[in-house]
Amino acid sequence: MSALASPSAEPLLEIRNLTIRYRENDRQVTAARDISFALRRGGSLAIVGESGSGKSSVAGAILDFLGPTAEVTGSMLFEGQDIAGLAPAQRRQMLGRRIGAVFQDPFTSLNPALRVGRQIAEPMVQHLGLPLAEALSRAEAALQEMGIDRAAEVARAFPHQLSGGMKQRALIAAALACEPPLLILDEPTTALDVTVEAQILRLLSRLRRDKGITLLFISHNLGVVRRLCDDVAVMYASQLVELGDVHRVLELPAHPYSKGLLASRPPLAAASRNNRLAAIDGQMPTTAEPDAGCVFAPRCPFHEPRCSAGPQPLTIAPDGHQVRCWKADELGPWPRQQVAAAVQPAFRRGDALVNATQLSKTFGTRGGLTSWRLSVAGGRPQLHRPPKRAPAVNDVSFSISPGEVLGLVGESGCGKSTLGRLLLQLLRQSGGSVEFDGADLARLPAQALSPFRKQAQIVFQNVGSSLNPRLSVGEALERPLALFGLTKPRDRTQRVAALLDMVRLPVAYRARYPHQLSGGERQRVAIARALATEPRFIVCDEPVSALDVSVQATIVNLLADLRDAFGLSYLFISHDLAVVAQLSDRIAVMYRGRICEIGTAADVLAPPHHPYTEILLASAAEDEPAAESAVGIAGAAHGGCVFATRCPHKLGKICDTTPPPLRTLTTSHTIACHLDVLPHDVGAPPIPVRPDPLRAAI
Amino acid sequence: MAVRLAELTAADFIRRRRRLPASLIVGGTIVAALIVTAALAQWIAPYPYDQMHVRDRFQPPNLHYLAGTDEYGRDVFSRLLIGSQLSLVLGATATLISMAVGVPLGLIAGYRRGVTDEAIMRVLDVMLAFPPIMLVLLILAVTPPSLLKTAIAIGVLAVAPIARVTRSVTLDLMSGEFIEAARARGEHLHYMLLRELLPNVWPVLMVEASLRVVFAVLLGAVLSFLGFGVQPPAADWGLMISNGRAFVDTAPWISLAPGIAMSITVIAISLVGDGLREVLDPKVGGR
Repeated sequence: MSALASPSAEPLLEIRNLTIRYRENDRQVTAARDISFALRRGGSLAIVGESGSGKSSVAGAILDFLGPTAEVTGSMLFEGQDIAGLAPAQRRQMLGRRIGAVFQDPFTSLNPALRVGRQIAEPMVQHLGLPLAEALSRAEAALQEMGIDRAAEVARAFPHQLSGGMKQRALIAAALACEPPLLILDEPTTALDVTVEAQILRLLSRLRRDKGITLLFISHNLGVVRRLCDDVAVMYASQLVELGDVHRVLELPAHPYSKGLLASRPPLAAASRNNRLAAIDGQMPTTAEPDAGCVFAPRCPFHEPRCSAGPQPLTIAPDGHQVRCWKADELGPWPRQQVAAAVQPAFRRGDALVNATQLSKTFGTRGGLTSWRLSVAGGRPQLHRPPKRAPAVNDVSFSISPGEVLGLVGESGCGKSTLGRLLLQLLRQSGGSVEFDGADLARLPAQALSPFRKQAQIVFQNVGSSLNPRLSVGEALERPLALFGLTKPRDRTQRVAALLDMVRLPVAYRARYPHQLSGGERQRVAIARALATEPRFIVCDEPVSALDVSVQATIVNLLADLRDAFGLSYLFISHDLAVVAQLSDRIAVMYRGRICEIGTAADVLAPPHHPYTEILLASAAEDEPAAESAVGIAGAAHGGCVFATRCPHKLGKICDTTPPPLRTLTTSHTIACHLDVLPHDVGAPPIPVRPDPLRAAI
Repeated sequence: MAVRLAELTAADFIRRRRRLPASLIVGGTIVAALIVTAALAQWIAPYPYDQMHVRDRFQPPNLHYLAGTDEYGRDVFSRLLIGSQLSLVLGATATLISMAVGVPLGLIAGYRRGVTDEAIMRVLDVMLAFPPIMLVLLILAVTPPSLLKTAIAIGVLAVAPIARVTRSVTLDLMSGEFIEAARARGEHLHYMLLRELLPNVWPVLMVEASLRVVFAVLLGAVLSFLGFGVQPPAADWGLMISNGRAFVDTAPWISLAPGIAMSITVIAISLVGDGLREVLDPKVGGR
C-alpha cells in the first residue's frame, strides 16, 4: 500500500515545490530543486541518493537546520500547517514536540558530560513541562522499550560507557520522548556495524508497527530502505528522479539512475576472476542547471540526443509512480561489464608470499609518564604501571600466495586494520612473526627493509587524508619513483602519465591538488601511488568504504583489473562481506582480534558457518539475523571463545572458559568453534542465505 | 581540522584575493608602510636622531619638529623613525630565532612521540615555568647589553609556545593517512618533516609568528624602558618612553609619540595575524 496516492486522508507531511539554494561566497548552489512529496500518517518514505544529491538538505529544511546561508522556497505542510512560515520560536516548539530527529553519528550526538537518562528526559521537561523526576523515570521506561537491558543502569551511565548501537537506541528514545507523530532519520545506521544496523532497523520497524509513527528516512543504502519503508524517493543532483512504492522501485526501477544504483551493489556471493560489477561512469554534477537537459544524461548508457534537448519533467503514472525520464518505459536492464575470462590461478600453500605466524599485537597505554598511577596503600607510596590493554590482534596465523587476494572481514574495532599494518611492519608485533617472500621481517636490519617497502604497499580508507594536501598529484606519484630510484629523472613524467592511465585518470590531473579531486578520484591517485613502486602485495584497508555505491563499484573493478594485469596479491580489508566476496579468493572472518573462520570465498559464504559468520551473512543478506543475546554494557574479556557473549549457539560453560579448537573442514576451510555440529550442518534452525532478490530482478 | 586547514594552497589564496578580510588589508598596509619607512629612515628623517638643538628643547610638535623635541632638543620624529628600525628588527630577529629552534623541536616531538616527545616537552615546560621577564633579565643582567642579545633572549622565551603549537598541529596531521603512506614507503626523517609535515603546519605557524612579533616588540620596549635593552643615546621607543617619564606633565609628547607609534605597530601586526587566521582557517573564513 502506498503512502503517496491516498486521497482519503490528509497527509501528515506534504512538501510542495521545495527548492533549497545556498549562497556560497559569490556563487549559488542549488541543493534541492522543486521537490514535492506527501507522507501519509503512519507511512514511511525513504529519500535515497548518493552524497551531494541533496537528500539531507531536504531533511534539514523540514527541521530548520540549514542556517542563514540557505534560501528555502516552497511550502512544507505539517499537519495541515505550513511550517516554513512559522516564527522561529514556534518552529523550535514544534521540533522535539511534534517532529523527532535522529542523525547519522551516534558518537557525537550525545553530550558527553550529561548522563544518558537526563538527555532523554530533557525534551519531556522542555516540551511537556514534566517535573524532572518523572521525566527521568519515563526516560528509563523509554530505554527499556528500545530493547536495552538493565535500563536503569544505562540511564545513569555517561555516553562514553555505551556502544554505538546503544547510543543510537538512546537517541531514538530521546527523539521519541514527546511521542511526536513524525520521526526524521538521517542515515541513522550508516556509522554502525552491519549486525548492529540490523538490530536498529528491527527496532524501528517494531516502533512503527506498535506506535504508528510516521518515518522520513534519509539513506544512501538501498538495502536498508527495503527493510523499513513503504515508499522510496530517489534523488540525483538535487532533483527527484523517481518516486514510488519501495518494491516497485527496487525491483523494477524505471529511471536509469535507479537502475544503475541497484546494479552497482555487489551481490553476496563468491565471484569468479572475470566478474566485474556494473558501474555508473563519471560523477554527479555539482551545479547542474535544468535547462541543459536531463541531469543524468552525461552518465546514462541509454542517453540519446533528445535527452539533452531540455529539462526532463516528472511524469506521474496512474498508480502514483513518478519518473523523470521520457523513455523510462522502453529501457532495458543496466548494461553489465565483461572482461575476457581470466585464468583462475591455482595457489599452492607451500610458496606463500606473506606468511603470518601466531601474530599478536597489544597496544600499551599512551601518554608516557601521565599514565602511571601513584597510590598510597598502607602508608607506603607505590607506583603502578599503566594497565595492559586487551590484545588488538591475538594469535593470528595465515598465508597469502603470490597473486592471491585474501579478504578480511570484521566489525569496527576487531583488529583488522591493525593486522594489515602488522603485515607491512607499520606497527611492530608483540608476538609471532611475519615473513615476506621467505624473509622474517622482524629480523631484517632497518636498512634491509627498503626492498620490502618497495614490494608491499597500502591503500587507505579515508580519501580525505590519504593524500598530502600540499603535494600535487604529479609530485605525489613522482616521489616513490625518486625514492626507490625506479625511473630516471627525465623519464618520470612519462611514468607518471602511465600510472595515471593505469587508474584511468586523465594525464592533465598531474597538476591538480587533492582538494580539486572527488573522493573516487583521490582513491585512484592513492592506488596509483601504491602502484608506483611496482609492488607485489598491497594491503587495501577499507578502500571503498568511504565512497558512494556507484563509485565503489568502479574502484572494486579497477582493483580487480590491476590484480589480473600485474598478478598482485591483496589483503583486502572491509566490513562489507559483499564487497570482500567480489574480489577475494579466500576470506578470513575476524572477531575481537582472532580469526574465527578462514577458507575459500565459496566455503565461507556457504554453510557450515562459524556462528559469527552466520550472523554477519544474515545481516548482510538483509534477512532477520539470528537472535542475539540482549544488548547490555559489554562484559570484561575472558579466557574462552571471544564470541561467546554474543553467540546464538552457545554450548555452555566450555565456551566461556576454554579457547575453541580449530576445526578443519576441508584442506582450505577452518573454523574455530566448540560446536561439533556447526550451524546448517545438521539440526540448528537454518538461516538460508538467499540470492539477493533485487539482483535477480534487474 | 588541521588537515582541512592545510588543504588551502597558493591557488586558493589567489582565488580569494578579492575577498581578503579588511583586517588583513588594513594591517598589511600599515605594516608594509612601517617597513618601508624603517628601511628609508636615514633619508626620511629631517634631522640626525642624535643631533641636539640646545635652543629648541621641549618644543611641542610644530612644522619644524613634527613630533616636538625632547629635553636635549633632539627631534622626536627623527628618533621615532630610527627607533622603528630597532623595534622591527628586534621583533623579526627574535621571532626568527624562536621559530628556528621551536619549529624543529615541535615537529620532532610530534612526529616521534614517546620518549623524545616527553623529553622535549618537559624541558620546554621548565622554560615556560620561568617568569618571562626574569629569564630575559637573567640573560641580560650578567653580560653587557646588545641588540642581538636582547633578540636572542626574547627569542628563547618564545621557543616553548612555538614548539607547542607546532607539536599540536603535527600530532593532528600524524593521524592523516598520507603520513602512513609515506612510512609504508620507508621515507627518511628529513623528508617526513620537511616535505610531508612542514608545509601543512606552515599556515598555522604564520598566524602564530605574527603574534610572536607583537610580543617581541612589546617585550623589547619593556626591557629598554627598564634599562636592560638598548642603551642611550640610541633611539629606541621603549627607551624614549622611559626618558620622557620625567617630563610627562610639561612635555607629554616625548613619551606619547613613541607610545602611539608602538600602539600602531602592535595593532597593525595583530590585525595581520587576525587576518591570516581568517584566511587560513576554513572554520572562521567560511569556505
